[in-house]
Amino acid sequence: MSSATLEIQGISRRFGDVVALDELDIKIEPGELVALLGPSGCGKTTALRIVAGLESTDSGHVLLRGKDMTEVSANHRNMGMVFQAYSLFPNLNAEENVAFGLQMRKVPKLNRLAKARELLEVVGLNTQAKRFPHQLSGGQQQRVALARALAIEPDVLLLDEPLSALDAQVRANLREEIRRLQLSLGTTTLFVTHDQEEAMSISDRVGVMNNGRLEQIASPDELYNKPASAFVASFVGLMNRLPGVLDSKIVEVLGQRISVADNNLSDGVVKVLIRPERVSVIQDSQDTNATVITRSFLGASSRVICQMRDGTVIQSLVPSAGTGSLNPGDEVKLIIDEHDVLVASV
Amino acid sequence: MKRKSLLLPVTLISCIIFIALPFGSATEFSFRDGGKTKHSLAAYRWILAQEDFLHYLGVSLRLALGAVLITLIIMVPTVAWLHLKAQRYRPLMEFLTLLPLVVPVVALSIGAQSALPEALQSSEYELSFMYVVLAMPYTYRALDIGMSAIPLKTITEAARGLGASWIKAITYVIAPVIRNAVIGSLFLTLALSLGEFTLTSLLHWDTFPTWVTSVSQQNIIGAIALSVFSLAAAFFLLFAIGLVTMRSKSDAMEGHK
Repeated sequence: MSSATLEIQGISRRFGDVVALDELDIKIEPGELVALLGPSGCGKTTALRIVAGLESTDSGHVLLRGKDMTEVSANHRNMGMVFQAYSLFPNLNAEENVAFGLQMRKVPKLNRLAKARELLEVVGLNTQAKRFPHQLSGGQQQRVALARALAIEPDVLLLDEPLSALDAQVRANLREEIRRLQLSLGTTTLFVTHDQEEAMSISDRVGVMNNGRLEQIASPDELYNKPASAFVASFVGLMNRLPGVLDSKIVEVLGQRISVADNNLSDGVVKVLIRPERVSVIQDSQDTNATVITRSFLGASSRVICQMRDGTVIQSLVPSAGTGSLNPGDEVKLIIDEHDVLVASV
Repeated sequence: MKRKSLLLPVTLISCIIFIALPFGSATEFSFRDGGKTKHSLAAYRWILAQEDFLHYLGVSLRLALGAVLITLIIMVPTVAWLHLKAQRYRPLMEFLTLLPLVVPVVALSIGAQSALPEALQSSEYELSFMYVVLAMPYTYRALDIGMSAIPLKTITEAARGLGASWIKAITYVIAPVIRNAVIGSLFLTLALSLGEFTLTSLLHWDTFPTWVTSVSQQNIIGAIALSVFSLAAAFFLLFAIGLVTMRSKSDAMEGHK
């Protein structure tokens, strides 16, 4: 399989008065899997469709291996795409679907069917080769669609929320399968999703989009621990938003004084963003500051929701071991870990 | 539950009686010999003896095939284009295609005729165009429903992304998946064209239905026999379409065995 650099340079696109994309810039290295994550209508699918050649741009360029592909039609881009909706050709069986792209490239029938069978085996559907789309489950259809997209040995693999129509178990399995295949083939991949867990679990980097703009693109770790904006912080993972007072790079929140990283905020009332796992729950403390509202057992960890004396509700994610005796109404002390506390304007 | 289980067969039997009784009565009547109770094939022999029978049947078939061809060339690509590229115009198209049901045939015939090129206005083939307009409320819906039932836009884009040119995407993907909807709409056009009387008569053309009306004044049993013949022909056409559709489905089923 080939692997190529994909560059999106200053792409903008408007639909009437709606700005779908605003000066989008992304560079994807060969063999890298980059996810575009964002709420509905943020422009991520438009970006993917522009890369695929299914949508035109108002300005900007799409470069593949440094070559400008902006005006190249979709059928000449050599990009494999898996769609959100089931997109198998209903008149062709699984094997013929996978072989379709090779047929368009005039690969001899025997060779293309052999390649199709090989790819169906890779996605675990070799026994379903002669089945038609309506005889396959949703997960199987998306597997065939993935094999079909890979059959043409694409320079770039484009995944447009391919798992969103599937149930949770199938989604988790197929997600891992996509990553395994992508790593083994080394195909440069652009993956669009609104599911943060999906994006964070299989991507090398994740780009968070909002209102047609890229808010931040970084590794999942960095995105989670060092979000560049309040939007990214609240969109990726859970986040407590507490009122605090900033004074000379020291923020006072829940009675604690915590030094914060450099920011452009002026002193005064701010919003303090704290991950639930950065809040510890201390039982049997003389100096309590909160009351337990609920405790939800999640397996290895438990979610504890507490109410502060001033009425502020705060969420904590703590190891389940040792929290078994916590009950609603218990008085506890909440302590904020001083690392990775973010402040934003109110 | 009991009431529910009875409702279906009762409704079904009522519908069959509603459709079959007039047809059965007409068929029985068409076999009567000179209006007496004795039955024979006299009326059908009379039909075959009419020298104009094959001529007007040929005219109607020719015009109907013309209408089918126009539907295939104009209606099918138009509806496919609406689904692929101009979804927002579908409500407008829905409205426009209903107009032939609302506008009186007299007004429609004059208006539609004046819209046609002059050379065509003096040719009987103008009727083919008119039949397409008259069949539009039905053909559009048959095509629209057929195309709505499949993710046409997505599979077309998938084909394009896999390297298919527009011609190849139409040949290998779009045409096969909309085949049943197209066949259905073509049958509707054919059936309406073969039976159309009012507009043909208003424009002073002679086709099979107008000829049937004229001969019915000479031989009422013969006219009934002609009507039965027309209905039977339409039924067999429908049956043939059903067979083609069923075959395409069984081909698909065969494929996975």
